[in-house]
Amino acid sequence: MKKNDLYSKEEKFFQDKNKIYSAQSVKQIVYSTDARDFGQVAKSVPCQDACPAKTNIPGYIRTIFEKRYGRAYEINRIANIMPGVLGRICSRPCESACRHGEPDNGRSVGICHLKRSCADLKPSSHRIIEGLYASTGKKVAVVGSGPAGLAAAHDLAILGHEVVLFESMEKPGGMLMYGIPEFRLPRDLLMLEIKNILRLGIKLKTNMAIGPDISLSRLQEDYDAVALATGCVSPRKLGIPGEDFENVHNGLDFMKAVNEGKKPFAGEKVAVIGAGFTAVDCARSAVRLGGKDVSINIRKTFEYMRVDETEKYEAQLEGIKTYSLIQPSKIIGHNNKVTAVEFLRTRMEKTDRPPYRISVPIENSELVVRVDSVIAALGQVSDVNIMPKELSGLDKKTNRTGIDGLFVAGDFATGSSDVISAIAGGRRCAGDIDEYLTGEKRRQKVVRLENHVTTDRPRSYDFISKVEMNTIDMEERLFLSTNEVETGYSDSQARQEAKRCYLCNLKYEIDPLACIYCSACIDVAPKDCIKMIKNVFVNPDGTYGGYEETRDWNKVVSIAIDNTNCIRCGQCLAVCPMDCISVTKTELIEIDT
Amino acid sequence: MKDINIVIEICGSAGEGTISAGEILSRFMSGQGFEIMSFDSYPAEIRGFGKCVAHTRISSNPIYSPGKFVDVLISLNDKHSISQLGSLKESGVLIYDSQPARPHKEDESAVGWTKPGMVSYGIPLNMLAHKAAGNARGMNMVALGVIAALFHMEKDQFTDSIKARYGKKKQIVIDSNVNSFIEGYGWTKENIKKNDSYSFKGVNLPEQKEKLIINGNQLVARAALDSNLSFYAGYPITPATKIMEILSRELPKHGGTLLQTEDEISAIGAVVGAGFGGKRAMTATSGPGFALMTEFTGLSVMAEVPAVIINSQRGGPSTGIPTKTEQSDFNSAVSGGTGDCPRIVLAPTDTKSCYDAVVLALYLAEKYQTLVVVLMDFFLSNSIKNIDVPQKPLPEYLNANIAPGKDELKDYKRYKITKNGISPRAVPGTKGGIFFSTGLEHDEYGRPDYGEAGHLKMTRKRFKKFNAVLSEAPAPEISISGKNEFDIGVISWGSSAGAAHEAVMSAQKEGINASSFSSMMVSPFPQKALIEFSDKCKKILIPELNFSGQFAGFTSHILKRPVEKLNFITGRPMASEDIIQKMREM
Amino acid sequence: MMPDNDHYVVIGNGPAGNHAAATLREKDKDARITIISDECVPYYYKPRLTGFIANEIRREKLFVSSWGSYKEQNIRIRLGQEVEKIDPDSKVLFLQHMEKINYTKLIIASGSRARLLPSMSRYADCLKFITSYTDVMEHKEAIRKANDFFIFGGDLVAFKFLKMLVAMGKTVTILIYPGAFWPYNLSDDMLAQITQSLSKFDVGIIIKDNVESIDEQEGSVLVKTRKGIEKKVNMVFSFNGLSPNIDFAKGSGIDIDHGILVDEYLRTNIKSIYACGSCAQIYNPAVKSYTASIGWPNAVAQGNVAGLNLLGDHKVIESAGRKYFDLEGVKIKTTWWDDIDDES
Repeated sequence: MKKNDLYSKEEKFFQDKNKIYSAQSVKQIVYSTDARDFGQVAKSVPCQDACPAKTNIPGYIRTIFEKRYGRAYEINRIANIMPGVLGRICSRPCESACRHGEPDNGRSVGICHLKRSCADLKPSSHRIIEGLYASTGKKVAVVGSGPAGLAAAHDLAILGHEVVLFESMEKPGGMLMYGIPEFRLPRDLLMLEIKNILRLGIKLKTNMAIGPDISLSRLQEDYDAVALATGCVSPRKLGIPGEDFENVHNGLDFMKAVNEGKKPFAGEKVAVIGAGFTAVDCARSAVRLGGKDVSINIRKTFEYMRVDETEKYEAQLEGIKTYSLIQPSKIIGHNNKVTAVEFLRTRMEKTDRPPYRISVPIENSELVVRVDSVIAALGQVSDVNIMPKELSGLDKKTNRTGIDGLFVAGDFATGSSDVISAIAGGRRCAGDIDEYLTGEKRRQKVVRLENHVTTDRPRSYDFISKVEMNTIDMEERLFLSTNEVETGYSDSQARQEAKRCYLCNLKYEIDPLACIYCSACIDVAPKDCIKMIKNVFVNPDGTYGGYEETRDWNKVVSIAIDNTNCIRCGQCLAVCPMDCISVTKTELIEIDT
Repeated sequence: MKDINIVIEICGSAGEGTISAGEILSRFMSGQGFEIMSFDSYPAEIRGFGKCVAHTRISSNPIYSPGKFVDVLISLNDKHSISQLGSLKESGVLIYDSQPARPHKEDESAVGWTKPGMVSYGIPLNMLAHKAAGNARGMNMVALGVIAALFHMEKDQFTDSIKARYGKKKQIVIDSNVNSFIEGYGWTKENIKKNDSYSFKGVNLPEQKEKLIINGNQLVARAALDSNLSFYAGYPITPATKIMEILSRELPKHGGTLLQTEDEISAIGAVVGAGFGGKRAMTATSGPGFALMTEFTGLSVMAEVPAVIINSQRGGPSTGIPTKTEQSDFNSAVSGGTGDCPRIVLAPTDTKSCYDAVVLALYLAEKYQTLVVVLMDFFLSNSIKNIDVPQKPLPEYLNANIAPGKDELKDYKRYKITKNGISPRAVPGTKGGIFFSTGLEHDEYGRPDYGEAGHLKMTRKRFKKFNAVLSEAPAPEISISGKNEFDIGVISWGSSAGAAHEAVMSAQKEGINASSFSSMMVSPFPQKALIEFSDKCKKILIPELNFSGQFAGFTSHILKRPVEKLNFITGRPMASEDIIQKMREM
Repeated sequence: MMPDNDHYVVIGNGPAGNHAAATLREKDKDARITIISDECVPYYYKPRLTGFIANEIRREKLFVSSWGSYKEQNIRIRLGQEVEKIDPDSKVLFLQHMEKINYTKLIIASGSRARLLPSMSRYADCLKFITSYTDVMEHKEAIRKANDFFIFGGDLVAFKFLKMLVAMGKTVTILIYPGAFWPYNLSDDMLAQITQSLSKFDVGIIIKDNVESIDEQEGSVLVKTRKGIEKKVNMVFSFNGLSPNIDFAKGSGIDIDHGILVDEYLRTNIKSIYACGSCAQIYNPAVKSYTASIGWPNAVAQGNVAGLNLLGDHKVIESAGRKYFDLEGVKIKTTWWDDIDDES
């Protein structure tokens, strides 16, 4: 297929327009470290800002549209290292921030699904590109091969350090390997992306737990720096009588057992307690183990479940019921085996402190539900037993501890979070270790600004509805419990969904010196995005704040495009008689200092 | 067979293509064999952000009035449409933009004002237009797609109509309009559950003859050309401007001359001059211009020079309300001016009769050597109807001048007293036909003569001629003939006649025994016929669009009996619904 | 535009909403009162809809009030208009057609709609519902013409509808889905009892089975069950209970579970917002739980109380929630848990 055939007539029109302009104009690229530019990128590219790893989301979505899946994969990998994994299980803070999901704009772009699609659809000849620094001769031990440990190891290896990765379990991956069910994250894919990291020369030592197998002080002696990234693996307890009966599992152990191929006893009637991803994963796994009446029991209401709508829907589809406004008060057993759970009904109350809405149990409102097993998935806390007592000096900003050369990363440092935060944390820690080892800051973030001439997309794309993820049907799900439920976008679906992105990385500006204040742009604007302003506020950190608007023409100092409201439709660009509206492509990148 | 009678209104801002959407709709429905009548109203400032309404009535039966109440209102712009909701029927349909470009404040959405019983369909018009063509311009076509889908119109044929409308434009224009239409059609078919009973399906319409879809102004121009008009002078004025606009393009092609003068005085001066020179000449104006012409109208009558003035009435004295319709120049047309000044006044009663009136006016002016006023109004000028292609005028209508015989030229009396008052007219250049012509009172040779006897003789001659015109008057139209007694007789003139006829026909169904009478020729008036009609009626009702009841005063003077008046100056055309209401009250 | 005086907005034009509005008008003569409804008909008797299909009730008899009565009470009625979102902070309602409405106090009485089981969502096109006037108007003619019916589910309306069809001389098959009373499941004993009591009618009863597939084929619908029963029918109806119409309130900060959570005074967690009728889950101190209520008299009582309390009264709703209801002579609990005490 010729490249030209990929595009529809309309798309070609836009490309041709591009060509005409680019022949005339010289590419102007500026690298800025101005606080105002950082502020602008953070404010007007909300998805990227919401991403803990600052993935260049509009950038990779645009390359997906251009069918450059390999490039899209690389743009992802620069920031988040494991796109194929994250494209399946990421908690998607970007999608909540997406401008397309704002009121009146429809639904947010399927950013995560697109991330997956570039991993799925990249050509078989795709090659990973890593720019390796010269060897420094320094040795670093990273403890824990979960997302944070892998990310730290990856970056440290690139920076020229010799890395040894210690893992207490049989296989690397941590939570990814043992916490997330296989029907959401196929293990061969996980292993592939882990191997891509290990190929940088990282030595992996599995079945090596700190404490029983090797002491921390030994590591400190043998290595120039040690990073602890052991995550949060100690389950939070229910704290109610009867917790120790047989068939009362904690969610993480249950998932671990399932993922190790063991078949923990679930029985027909399963009560899962908890409102997060693990709870849903446990419930869905219980269905696959033969559970007929599986319920998720939550203290608050559905709204407060810490999972996204698709997860809720998939669980419902698999026949899982959710009972809300109840909390367990007692586990009842017979012959040391669980037979029922006693719950108290709860009601919602207000508090003055976060989270503002809490549930409180109602006195004497006991109810009893018969069960064969209970899975308590209440989240985890970090296992501080392996840490020496001198942890007090923990500096969350630099990931340093009070002990020289000992660093912490990921959930272990921050408390239980999500995979993408752990990866970001791991990478941050690697940067700090590098600075510690080399005595200088070798990498820095800058904003790359490049002139651009079109909106890259017609307005009609704004009205495309979200492309839903393809899933397998119930029978296939139950036929083999490891069958991946989501099957990914096809090539055309991915491109269709990619069209929906507003490309917020394009910044629109009116040149106040060329503007004749005809207000034609204001008339065509579909949003309240072009404003007559008399002042621009400046934040204490040097970034721009909001605009002070005025209706009084005598006070107008400029007509300005509010990029936080702008949906990049380009209508202003089309009507401007003075050609005074410019488009600039902004990109947050990391370069050598 | 089912009767279909649906009034569709499209309301938007000027520049949104409201009027062209209405036009395409009318053309398409006419092509489908329906009778249509449409009447648009637009702001006085022709471009800008004023309100535009394209009002179209579509029926399987003949239509006589545009219909007061609306069945389907399409809002392209809610700001303007809210006030239009007042005329939407109780079970009418509102189609509105469910995703306008910007959110509305409280009470600024049309749908918020719908009354219980109305059906509203929210269609993302703006969004669909963008989807189809990348901008909001196609909203009007999306709206057409929506009504085509909702009310069962033929999609492909409609598409052809749109293609035909934009046929001469660039392909991209045609495509974006057609795509917008299809987008609207498809979206509606897919997403809207029909909840009303309006439909254009299920009616057998007669095999369609070739029809003209035309408004009064266009027909006037066509009639003038068909009647061999050779000279037109004028000064633009709403609502008559379009006549001049068409003639400026077409008249030279037909060998005629068009002159735009500096004002209406010189326009009529030029017309009288051309008439004197033997040419068929005409001008068109509206009330304010007609007032300026009064001086020359007297000359035309006094000097017995053919002249035709089209007066398309608008609202109010002076500049008044230029874009609204009224029938308030009756007195001014029939009896304005100086002296005993008999002039022929023809008031066409519907679109079709605008053609007949102009043919007749040019013929009568030439034959009777006098002034003929054709009294139209804003509504007749602008309302569009589909009509049968009019028959071209017979030859005798094209050459009506009574020229002097050889014998008469020996001693040529230009103003010779004859039996019917018509003196043979020689045009300048006729051998032997030398004469005086003046605005002064004159003798048979045209020489000034202020004598008592001479003035009486000549005034009599002019009135004799005037009364003779009656024999050429088209027969008055009477809705229900054959009966000898009516409870109510509705006498009307001009554009109100259609509504009156329709009201009487509906009244019959309600059991009200009524009939209506109208005459295209209002001066001289067919008094005998009128009295004959009046004698059959217990009560007389005279509806007209002016405040004082000018025609009612004129008629009651003839009939010497009290009449019931029904007057509106709302700027809207006469509505049959209002007449029926009044009849019920009587 | 800021309202000059109070603007009470009632979302919903059913018994709860109308009684709330009427109470408000009675107590406050000056306030602006608006009822917003996404339906296009005046206040009608939902329970009479089946009778209307069977031609036992004339159309006029469906309506509780006429257009005029809104006008008489000086209540503005906005029909065919859907609320999309509530912003309690600025007290603004966003309607779906992008109009913003300011309110000073709000009563949510948006009722409920037929519940579509997630597992059936792919057959949504083939499944018909009879829960609203619009549904009835849409299917009425088709029901009269059709002969073979398949009913999937089995809530209260289902049996009413089934008896109506039988009385009309139609052939009916019902697949009783134990989860129709979600969140409560029918036990095998109950199923047996219901089957027993239905046996006096001439209907096909399928139990302990589930729908395998539904396919539309040339005007008829083929239903296949897991156990291999195949039925070719004209129409398939789904009756699996109701789910509250509260999508517009999600994410607004109003506490929502299945319905809108209100206390015994029908107050939501947000000041000046009340909820009543079947869209609400009312805290019932007797049961010590939030219970949903159905039925006309409940809705009427709650509407009145919501109106009074909104105006400053402090009335406790009493009739909210029953512990049991009767289905074909079988006692069905309204709660889903095993009441171990009851069994002893």
